[in-house]
Amino acid sequence: MKLWAYVVRRLLLFIPTLIGLTFIVFILSHAGGNNLVLAEYINPRLTGEARTLLIQKLTEEFHLNQPLYIQYFYWLYQVLQGNWGFTTTPIFSGTVITAIDLFFPNTAMITVVASVLIWAIGVPLGIYSSVNRDSVGDQVLRVGSFTLYAMPIYLIAVALIIALGVYLKLIPFSGVVNPILVSDVSWYKNGISYPTHIILIDSMLHGAWQVTWDSFLHLILPSLTLALATVASIIRILRASMLEVLEQDFIRLAWSKGIPAKLVYNLHARKNALLPVLTLYGVTVAFLLGGAVVVETVFSYPGIGYWTTQALLNNDVGGIMASTLLFGLILVTANLALDILYAFVDPRIRY
Amino acid sequence: MLHLERMKGEEENREAKKNNESYRSGRLENLKVSVSVFIANKTALAGLLIFIIFIADALIVQFDPQLIGIQSPNLLVPNFQNPIPLPPSPEHPFGTTYPGIDLFDGIVKAIRIDLAYSFFVVAVGASIGAIVGIISAWAGGMMDEIVMRLTDIVFSIPYLILALAVGFILGRSLWHMSIALALTWWPLYARYARSQTLSTKELTFVEAAKAGGVGRGMIMFKHILPNVLPPIFIQISLDLGSIVVIFSTLAFIGFIPNADIPELGYLTSLGLNYVQTAPWAVIFPGLVITVFALAVNLLGDGLRDVIDPRRRS
Repeated sequence: MKLWAYVVRRLLLFIPTLIGLTFIVFILSHAGGNNLVLAEYINPRLTGEARTLLIQKLTEEFHLNQPLYIQYFYWLYQVLQGNWGFTTTPIFSGTVITAIDLFFPNTAMITVVASVLIWAIGVPLGIYSSVNRDSVGDQVLRVGSFTLYAMPIYLIAVALIIALGVYLKLIPFSGVVNPILVSDVSWYKNGISYPTHIILIDSMLHGAWQVTWDSFLHLILPSLTLALATVASIIRILRASMLEVLEQDFIRLAWSKGIPAKLVYNLHARKNALLPVLTLYGVTVAFLLGGAVVVETVFSYPGIGYWTTQALLNNDVGGIMASTLLFGLILVTANLALDILYAFVDPRIRY
Repeated sequence: MLHLERMKGEEENREAKKNNESYRSGRLENLKVSVSVFIANKTALAGLLIFIIFIADALIVQFDPQLIGIQSPNLLVPNFQNPIPLPPSPEHPFGTTYPGIDLFDGIVKAIRIDLAYSFFVVAVGASIGAIVGIISAWAGGMMDEIVMRLTDIVFSIPYLILALAVGFILGRSLWHMSIALALTWWPLYARYARSQTLSTKELTFVEAAKAGGVGRGMIMFKHILPNVLPPIFIQISLDLGSIVVIFSTLAFIGFIPNADIPELGYLTSLGLNYVQTAPWAVIFPGLVITVFALAVNLLGDGLRDVIDPRRRS
């Protein structure tokens, strides 16, 4: 199969997944009757007659009197129009789309930094562990990753807070920035910075380097927690696949040709060993997104995850449904991208 | 003539009996090897020991809480006179957490609740998953395709978030939380059971049975299931550790509304505001979960060695 044919096939398979994903979210909010839909779409500030009128309008717009399978299409139409309803939480109230616009950049920031950290920590350690098989270092790494694998994310977060934040007093562990630093700047209001909503980038745009440094320090613990929670499985997979690759004929050939060990490991073996890690990265992305909810909650980091738990605590349908749909969309898109990337890297997959 | 045939029949009978006996002793031998393989694995043995301690804790709290001096096994006992966390002392071996709850007492009670609900999640998820997976692999064709797309779709939302949404719709309580987890967890088992069944279906002995004219149902129950179910059970035992962790994580981020329910994640979240002055209040409950998950993983690894013939030698 040609690469483009594979990509087209994969894109076509993307459509039923998207329909299924939206259908799950639709069923969750609609199956229990109309109350949830109305709670999601009625502006909470409206009262009295205006509210009654709006309920009528919504019933018409979403065709709430008709069977579920018909409602689905009208709901999907509204969602595609960008009408995702309202959210009311202590950290934000307004339309869901605005909330996503404000919070998503922060979540993207910590997950991207965490991904970079995962590769930066996981790949060298995994390679080291397999090359020095059964050495003391390997044993320590195996026990360490096994323990890390069993730890709940919040415990990793708390352990890092206690070690780095409380005892060593190195890094701050709450929020995105020290509020004193940004108390009187024009581009930071109500805990939200403008224009990109990522304070690290905004402060650079405005030339406030002290704020940049402080927000960088605030970024370390959440991303490190997220990375540590995931890196254990990467190390384990990489170690196993590297050991398998090192047994193969072409590696033996390389040894027999007298190629130096460094080249054999880094050039011949590593590339092939990384393939399984790449295939399983979809699982890692799912784990990162779920982990972001916990990490952002522990560190009061204003991202989608923190917003989701706030919505949960305040019985806010809009926030829960929107984040479910959003996280689902991110995950399926990431999986699509990974599949296509994988076909690029490994021609065998196309057949 | 008839006589001769009867003699032949008796002979066959005797032969079969003999085979049966050797088969039975072979089984015993098999069990002995399994046990010795498992015992040789010291870490798995340690895992088993810890696992038994946790189970014993849960059983004692369930059936005879007075034995270890526990008064109300379903409730945490707050002490509002002295709500600030106290450090570990002879009176409170693990210290106390906000609002004045004795952590040792709380953890001992919480283990029962966490274990029971996690068992429920794994049992329900695994039964649904195993049945769906095996049937879809067995039936093949259109049915298989539909089931796999369905699991794909459930996988398209990160399970923690899906469980959160499902639980939110059902209403926030421990029961709903476990139902939500079971509903989001079964596709994993379905996939696993399916792949196990598919690979077993291709093996030579199944082909031999088919060639010998054995019926489809017979092949399923006599040949495939006995080979497919053990690995699934191992997977389940491995997953108990993950489920306990996820269960407590959901409780930690505030899934169960403020009620004095002894649950490890909830206990951890109680101490979160005091992390700077009272680290024990978060470390002990979190550590108990980690130890349990670790023990289950070690146990599962040991069991896998027992099941996998390639690792037995």
